[in-house]
Amino acid sequence: MSEKPVSPPVGRVVATELKPSTPHQFYFWTSRESPIGIGAIVRVDAEGRTVFGVVTDGFAYSDLQTPMHAVIGADGDPAGLEEPTRRTEIRLYAVAVLRHIPEEPVQPVPLGVVHLAADADVVTALRMDAYVAGEKPTAIPVGVYAAGGLEAPVYLDADFLLGPEAAHLNITGVSGLATKTSAVEFLLTSLFQTFPAHKGRIAALCFNVKGPDLCFLDQPAELNEEDRRLYARLGLAPVPFDKVRYFAPYKADGVNLNTLRTHEALAGNTEPLLWGLREVLDYAEVVLNRDDVDAKADAFIDFLAERVVGKEFEDHTLPRTFRVRSFAELDEFFRAIFAVLEEGGRGGGEVWRTHHIATIRKIRNRLGNISTRSKGLVTDDGEVNDLPWGGFEDRGLYVVDVAGLDPLAQDLVFARIVSRLREHLERRDLGVDHVVVFVDELNKYAPADGPETYVRKMLLDISERGRYLGLVLFSAQQFRSQVQRRVIGNSGTMILGRMDGDELALPGYSTMSPATRARLAALPKGELLVRHPHFTQPVFIRFPRPAVLSGREGIERFPPRVELSFGEAVARRLRALDPSLATSRVLDLIGGRREEEVRKALNATIRARPDQPLPFFVRCLGREVPAETVRTRDVVRPIRTSGDLY
Amino acid sequence: MPATVEPPASHGRAEEARIIPAELIEPRPLGTRALGPPEAWPGPVAFLDGIQRYVVLAYAGTMPVVGADVAAAVRERNGREARTVISERRRLLIGRPEALALAAAALPGIRTVALAAEEPSHPLRDLELARAVVDRARGEVELSVGNAYRRGASHWLVVDGSLAESPVWTADPRMIGVAKSHATLPFGGPDLVTYLHLPAGHRSSVFRPASRHRAPVYAWGLRLWDWAGRDLFFGLVRVEAAPTEESLRLADSISRWLLAERAPVSADARWDRLLYGIHGVEEYLRAQR
Repeated sequence: MSEKPVSPPVGRVVATELKPSTPHQFYFWTSRESPIGIGAIVRVDAEGRTVFGVVTDGFAYSDLQTPMHAVIGADGDPAGLEEPTRRTEIRLYAVAVLRHIPEEPVQPVPLGVVHLAADADVVTALRMDAYVAGEKPTAIPVGVYAAGGLEAPVYLDADFLLGPEAAHLNITGVSGLATKTSAVEFLLTSLFQTFPAHKGRIAALCFNVKGPDLCFLDQPAELNEEDRRLYARLGLAPVPFDKVRYFAPYKADGVNLNTLRTHEALAGNTEPLLWGLREVLDYAEVVLNRDDVDAKADAFIDFLAERVVGKEFEDHTLPRTFRVRSFAELDEFFRAIFAVLEEGGRGGGEVWRTHHIATIRKIRNRLGNISTRSKGLVTDDGEVNDLPWGGFEDRGLYVVDVAGLDPLAQDLVFARIVSRLREHLERRDLGVDHVVVFVDELNKYAPADGPETYVRKMLLDISERGRYLGLVLFSAQQFRSQVQRRVIGNSGTMILGRMDGDELALPGYSTMSPATRARLAALPKGELLVRHPHFTQPVFIRFPRPAVLSGREGIERFPPRVELSFGEAVARRLRALDPSLATSRVLDLIGGRREEEVRKALNATIRARPDQPLPFFVRCLGREVPAETVRTRDVVRPIRTSGDLY
Repeated sequence: MPATVEPPASHGRAEEARIIPAELIEPRPLGTRALGPPEAWPGPVAFLDGIQRYVVLAYAGTMPVVGADVAAAVRERNGREARTVISERRRLLIGRPEALALAAAALPGIRTVALAAEEPSHPLRDLELARAVVDRARGEVELSVGNAYRRGASHWLVVDGSLAESPVWTADPRMIGVAKSHATLPFGGPDLVTYLHLPAGHRSSVFRPASRHRAPVYAWGLRLWDWAGRDLFFGLVRVEAAPTEESLRLADSISRWLLAERAPVSADARWDRLLYGIHGVEEYLRAQR
């Protein structure tokens, strides 16, 4: 049996032939002044049994037999004399059972006294007792449940949030009101502060897909007293993330970062995301039109990847040995092939090493287009600045800003980064044991309808198999109904914020009571409905504002700088490494130099992060920057299912 | 022999239709007075009502054994909220002594009332006698809760029915009886027409009902709802108060207070005469049964 209730009775169970109690549902009445509301957790005490439940619906009615009697009683005048006696009125609530103690035998809820649940009751009712205490607790605070002046922390189970038992989290809600981003930011704070040491090391990777949403996660927000109280109630410190690294591609000029986080004060941990030919070629199927990549084209791409790129390639038909490390060198290679074929002409010049000239031309055009459409992310010259693969920090937060990227380039970023995460986690050499990947706008990247895309397959793969690797998807969208069902279905934890009424009217929400749906349609900011594998029924919770600046606040406090000239942008990037550098000194140094040379030297300096950036930069400027040796990929290919060539 | 028979009209008192001329207290001839707009009751007010029910539980030979349940309560209204402040319930076993001797063993702990009948047992006549016992028992319970309330509170107390059941009640300057039944009418001839044709929102002249068995009261007819197109008695109640000059002075005010009590309308077939406060007491007692 559970401990005795600590709160006074608020109601009594009623059961009639028309509204009987069952093992999973019951009704109780309460006074008009009762603090009970939709979502309140209650306990029923009866002889030999305690039952916990959550209020899912409420009814009120009086002894008025017909509305006509109300009209007659008021002499047809709504403004007439107030009825001297208040009509007898009932408050009847429907409750979905959360837990019986004892659990067996399964019996209907007995007629008993109803109490509001206290802290200990909430722990028991939501079956949190299995993971909030013990030798190896795995509780992650997600918010507080509050009803009738009582307030209790609610915890998620790390084993069911990050695996291996279940994993992934999905959050749905309308834009601006559902606080989806805030909820994820708060939950990441909670995870980083409470993730148990025995579960290993954890990091998070967030894709910023719109505006400045996730651009200021390292900057503290001003919280009010209530927020601070909630943090204290949950045992958390209201502090921003302390290990944050931002990655954003360049704009087309190759020196200004394509992000709204361009304020000089934030430049220290904002780095370019820069990929070369090798990085793109491995994921060519992501960025090439599926119709283009037939078996012949695929074979030629494989030939390039395995025999040409990053290696010394010799062919007796070609005039010289080729060492292809960049798009520019690849184009030289293509031109040499075409020259050979044109010279061979007259019938015998259409095939080179079993590859038809049309296939070769097609691949050349498509790959060439990539460097054009993804300019700023993909460089022609082979320079690379990437995420710290193998060196992810425990409690490190990595934000990749793709908000300003072309959709094709966004797909490339998603596919490559997630595939690399997967590969490293499989090899257990990422630096952490668990990575949370946060993707917003899931209805865009994993839509329910539309063509099968590489990104959608990849997200589905994470949701179905990621938990075994420690790769966990936190995803968000406005409309759950518009997201691939399997991605949603694999999310062990579901969170709903303020919802659109039309969305709630869909069959997917029919298991919720009308009152729960009505509350969701008007849910205030900071409140959520949480479903978790341990909870028999979803529960409403409240969470504090994230301790980090929101995108809007961040933009006001750290307004992005206007696009700088080439020289000033180079100076800004170098000053991020050494704030004592004078812009004029850098401008003098790069005056008269070719932009490609300067860009190359700059990227080499950023990648090397030397103690003395300026001398290093000068040395790079003075000679050809050696290309980084490209390692041939030796293991896992990105998600490629059998039977599907793409 | 066990039985389960609920006699007709077992929930109410028996009444005989008759005319017993009353004495007019206000000047002749019998008149009607327009009361003007209703007025809210000044301060807290309490409502008293009782219920009764009896069934034949068994027959000892041909002698019925009647089980009765009588209860009464007072609900006090403060502001707009009413709550029960006093209630009392009694269970009785009624029958001829020889029948009770057999039944009492099977139903221990219930108070028994023996029918004092000298004539040989007749099942129907015994039921009539039992009914009279139940009526008296209900009256006793009502008196009991009314007196108990009065010992602790001095607010106005509105009683369902006549005050004339008790000289204590009729002497109480802050008790009012509201009778819905018109089995006994106070006038005949043209006065009866005046009395029964009272327009809505009017009261009759004050009169003193004549009865050898009842304590003296002042009374007047009050039409709560317009009866046009309906029954003569629709919305008509007889109001009773202590036979004092103060009652005469307050007759209009009391009537206006009662007019305000027309709302809320009771969820009952007798809604035109059943004040919601009284209805609340009935509902409470029925729910407690």
